[in-house]
Amino acid sequence: MRDALRLRGVTRRFGPVIALDEVDFALAPGEIHGLLGENGAGKTTLARVAAGILQPDAGRVEIGGQPLGNGGVGVARALGVAMVHQHFSLVPRFTGFENVALFDVAAWTRRGTLRSGYRDRVEARAGELRLAVELDAPIRGLGVVARQRVEILKALMGDTRVLLLDEPTAVLAPQEVEGLFAVLRQVARAGAGIVLVAHKLDEVLAAADRVTVLRRGQWVMTRAAAEVSARELAEAMVGAGVGVRGGGGVEATAGGARAPEFGAAAGDVVAELRDVTVAAGGSLPLRGVSMQVRRGEILGIAGVGGNGQRTLAAVLAGMRLPDSGEVQLPEEVGWIPQDRTNEGLVNEFTISENVAFAVHDRSEYRKGPWLDWAGVEETASALVRDMDVRADSPAVTASVLSGGNQQKVVTGREFLRSGNLLVAESPTRGLDVKATLAVRARIGEIARSGGRPPGVVLISADLDEVLELSDRIAVMVRGRLIPVPREDHNPAAIGELMLSARREGAP
Amino acid sequence: MSTRFRTLTPALTAATALLATLVVAAALLALGGYPPGDAFAALFRGAFGTWDRFVSFTLVRATPLLLTGLAIAFAFRARVWNIGAEGQLHAGALAAVAVAVALPGAHGLVVIPATLLAAAAAGALWASAPAAMKTGMGVGEVITTLLMNFVALFMAQFLVQGPLREDRGVFNQTNEIPPAAHLPDLIPGTRLHLGFLIGILIAIALWLYLTRTPGGFRLRAVGASPRAAEVSGRFRAQPVVWLAFLASGAIAGLAGGVQVAGVTHRMYEGLSPGWGYTAIAVALLARLNPLAVVVTAIVFGALSAGGGAMQRDAGVPEVWVRGIEALVILAVLAVDRSWQALTSRGSRG
Repeated sequence: MRDALRLRGVTRRFGPVIALDEVDFALAPGEIHGLLGENGAGKTTLARVAAGILQPDAGRVEIGGQPLGNGGVGVARALGVAMVHQHFSLVPRFTGFENVALFDVAAWTRRGTLRSGYRDRVEARAGELRLAVELDAPIRGLGVVARQRVEILKALMGDTRVLLLDEPTAVLAPQEVEGLFAVLRQVARAGAGIVLVAHKLDEVLAAADRVTVLRRGQWVMTRAAAEVSARELAEAMVGAGVGVRGGGGVEATAGGARAPEFGAAAGDVVAELRDVTVAAGGSLPLRGVSMQVRRGEILGIAGVGGNGQRTLAAVLAGMRLPDSGEVQLPEEVGWIPQDRTNEGLVNEFTISENVAFAVHDRSEYRKGPWLDWAGVEETASALVRDMDVRADSPAVTASVLSGGNQQKVVTGREFLRSGNLLVAESPTRGLDVKATLAVRARIGEIARSGGRPPGVVLISADLDEVLELSDRIAVMVRGRLIPVPREDHNPAAIGELMLSARREGAP
Repeated sequence: MSTRFRTLTPALTAATALLATLVVAAALLALGGYPPGDAFAALFRGAFGTWDRFVSFTLVRATPLLLTGLAIAFAFRARVWNIGAEGQLHAGALAAVAVAVALPGAHGLVVIPATLLAAAAAGALWASAPAAMKTGMGVGEVITTLLMNFVALFMAQFLVQGPLREDRGVFNQTNEIPPAAHLPDLIPGTRLHLGFLIGILIAIALWLYLTRTPGGFRLRAVGASPRAAEVSGRFRAQPVVWLAFLASGAIAGLAGGVQVAGVTHRMYEGLSPGWGYTAIAVALLARLNPLAVVVTAIVFGALSAGGGAMQRDAGVPEVWVRGIEALVILAVLAVDRSWQALTSRGSRG
């Protein structure tokens, strides 16, 4: 049988970030296909490429055997693709029926009047799908479940062969999820293929026939749901044992045998948190976090994104004061922030100007009242050389650099501040393999450097990375920091801890 | 795109905008039955025809535009959208008159600095309310600075009609400030006063501050990306925003003080024909570069001086002159945007 949807070698970039990297994907008619992955793994991008909203940079999309080309949403719709977005696209003042009609070309005559009998067709379709839809109440008065049903009916009014649902369960309570799945099974029985984008493992296993896992924009596995365990999926998502391996080069540099026992070989304590609590004021909370960071060690903090890691990084960088608990930090902290394009760099500034962030208020870069730009430029040149940044000169604007080179600039700049402590937050997110290895190697090197190396806190959702680089590991679970004993430094044990976080984390 | 071409771009923008305006204005003048050639000749003669026209008219009229243009450029560099230069200018003018009138016997060396400082302080004070609302409550400064303009204008109107009305009681204006408070002439025999030099010096100072000092670096960083400034620079954006508001307000206030002390020697209704708003075009045309503001302010000063001559010598009614000035501003903004689109596309390719 012909595939309802087929992606062949699809690549899609957003500026320097690769969202999809030569991904193959097949959806059979009548199948519910779960699409799993961490935040930023490329799930939504894949769905949007299939819906014609985004054009792939390379590769092809076929719908029912027909190439989508660069036809966009209109062609995709004509070929029978419909997408239900995570954030509903309904007109709040309109009724459910009006919203359905608004989106359906077939509802209207040439003169722009509603076709007679359209109402009956809508009701009949809802009946076929056994979808209890409130058609006559304005959307704004409806609850989430009722809105979602309107969205689904809206998507299925035409001859829909492919239904893409982006995180449809995110807004639902557990009991409501079962109701949604019943509807989806009904739709699938009618012959449409369904892509269910989600990140809750157990739900996907309950609903899907097959499951595909993406990680860092790459295809990792496709398996029948009946033949795969939640643990296998979890490992595939967080990258234990599959996908981009760090490779021997980094491990050799990082010297896995260092600091075998906690604190044994490491130097003096450079940072300490004692029972630090941050209430959820605009960011995710920290609950009673205690930790010590010593010179020369890498403390890896694993965890599913959104469990308080960002807050922890801000506290360690001295940018956020805790509501209670004690914090001891060095005067200056290197901090590689997660969001490099918006936080780590000013895109329209040159490399020199971006480097100046770290040094502009140091006395050695002052000449009287003036900032010593020649000195800054010299430092930036050395950084470009040492970090192997691919740029002609430090006068190049940051926005023209690739993601990997941007991250090398940020990393190098934060090294300037890392005499005592370096906090690296998802330092390789969105980078290609080569840049990933380079940045990991640099972080390994700085902690292993002779003399007085800094202590490094590596916060990453990438388990590979944490396992590869860290001397000690802790897992962040809903704002708590759980130390992982040495003997549990393996993907399975840590993956399970991270996964338990996710289950607990469900509202 | 080569660096050389990029540095040329602002000049090209300005030239293209002026050329486009010239074409459209010529067409409009011809439609209205005024020979465009005569009108433009009158405009040019009025602005640059003689040394005195240039110095006593173009440069004198450029002075308030220079100061307010600098005020806008500085604020915009910090992404502080101060639309309130007009109000800050009025506040400055009122303060200048009040101080100068209150010091009748004082020497120039005392009364002039006191007058100008009072004007700057009043402008900064006027800008501090929107600054407090923005930093404290997150209220957008576009609205607040604009509304503060109306408050300042009506306050000025009220004061010159009542409490500060001249003792003669003939016109709605204040008493003349004492001669000691008049700004000295910059070039003997012309009407160009010290204020123009002050404007040039402030332009140089702002440029040095922005490009050569740590504080200027911080200000540009906050203007480019407040979030990146806080995370990468580890400094708070708020003090920088305050500085931008206060400095901008002070310079705009100084514009009012300089106009009173250098030209009108008193305050009256309608002191400014909207300099605070034209200043936005002056600053944008200069790409927010303080040194370039000197040039663009003179261009707009010439337009103002030449416009008067066009009215008088070529018989073009004032509304047409105003319309042509407005066209220039529109052309500048349109050409500037399209240049930005062109150059950003070019540099990515």
